Amino acid sequence: MSSGDDHRLVARVVSSQDTAAFGELVRRHQSQVRNFLRKLAGDVSAADDLSQDCFLHAWNKMHTYSGRGSFIGWLLKIAYTTFLQSRRKSKRYAEIIEEVGHKMQTDSQTCTLPADEVTDLDKLLAVLDDEERAIMIMSYACGLSHREIGDATSMPVGTVKSIIFRGKQKIRASFDIKDHKHG
Amino acid sequence: MAEKIKDADDRLLESIFETSPIPDAGFSAAVVRRVRRQLWLRRLAVPVAALIGGGIAVKPLAGFVSIVASLSPMIPPQLIDTATSMIPQLPTVVLGGMVLAVCLIGIRSLED
Repeated sequence: MSSGDDHRLVARVVSSQDTAAFGELVRRHQSQVRNFLRKLAGDVSAADDLSQDCFLHAWNKMHTYSGRGSFIGWLLKIAYTTFLQSRRKSKRYAEIIEEVGHKMQTDSQTCTLPADEVTDLDKLLAVLDDEERAIMIMSYACGLSHREIGDATSMPVGTVKSIIFRGKQKIRASFDIKDHKHG
Repeated sequence: MAEKIKDADDRLLESIFETSPIPDAGFSAAVVRRVRRQLWLRRLAVPVAALIGGGIAVKPLAGFVSIVASLSPMIPPQLIDTATSMIPQLPTVVLGGMVLAVCLIGIRSLED
């Protein structure tokens, strides 16, 4: 899957609102976007809903893709923004429910996997905050360069590097990462 | 990741983060369906709003035309008769609504 092909498909979407071309773009990148959001949200069905919303936002904002960076980097930026927006909404919802006197779980997005399904990756991600988790996933799971991560998170490359360094330190401090189950 | 200098930790983290690709299993088709639905809704929004607005406005507009006509002898009385006869009766409105609903359902099923 070359970036040139992506650019051609994007051009078809922008010029003639070609849904077939958009479908092809979704088919090419759905796995990476869904993997990113599954790791970030820790909940498969919520992550898949967010992935659909992400692609819908991508459709509406396709004209803003300049073609400068990689298309997957641009998509992951939208995915990350979609995740943050949904997290803010669910937090605000939890606050409103608590304000009216009901008790509920504070965050529906948190990992609710049964204990035997929790992999080393889940444990490892649990020691990181949202921002560190997103950047580590973009770097190690999606293979984005520091520059692409910077574009996706609107951060300078230096900040991205220091967050990755901090994340690695946290992981090193919490785990012996020699033996692991794949996540 | 050309710009990164990978150490042993990086390689180990990459292997921990590595996951198998998720099969599409109808995901892209579902996204495209949602996109097409959104497109149709946008395309239909203006004509439907114009139709509803027109339906609401036709009766007071006809009344307005008759008032203006009664004030001005320059407007021929035939025009007043035409304006009043143009007001749709209830069966016409119901039939129009049914045709619109059938069209919307037809478009939706064609799209799916």
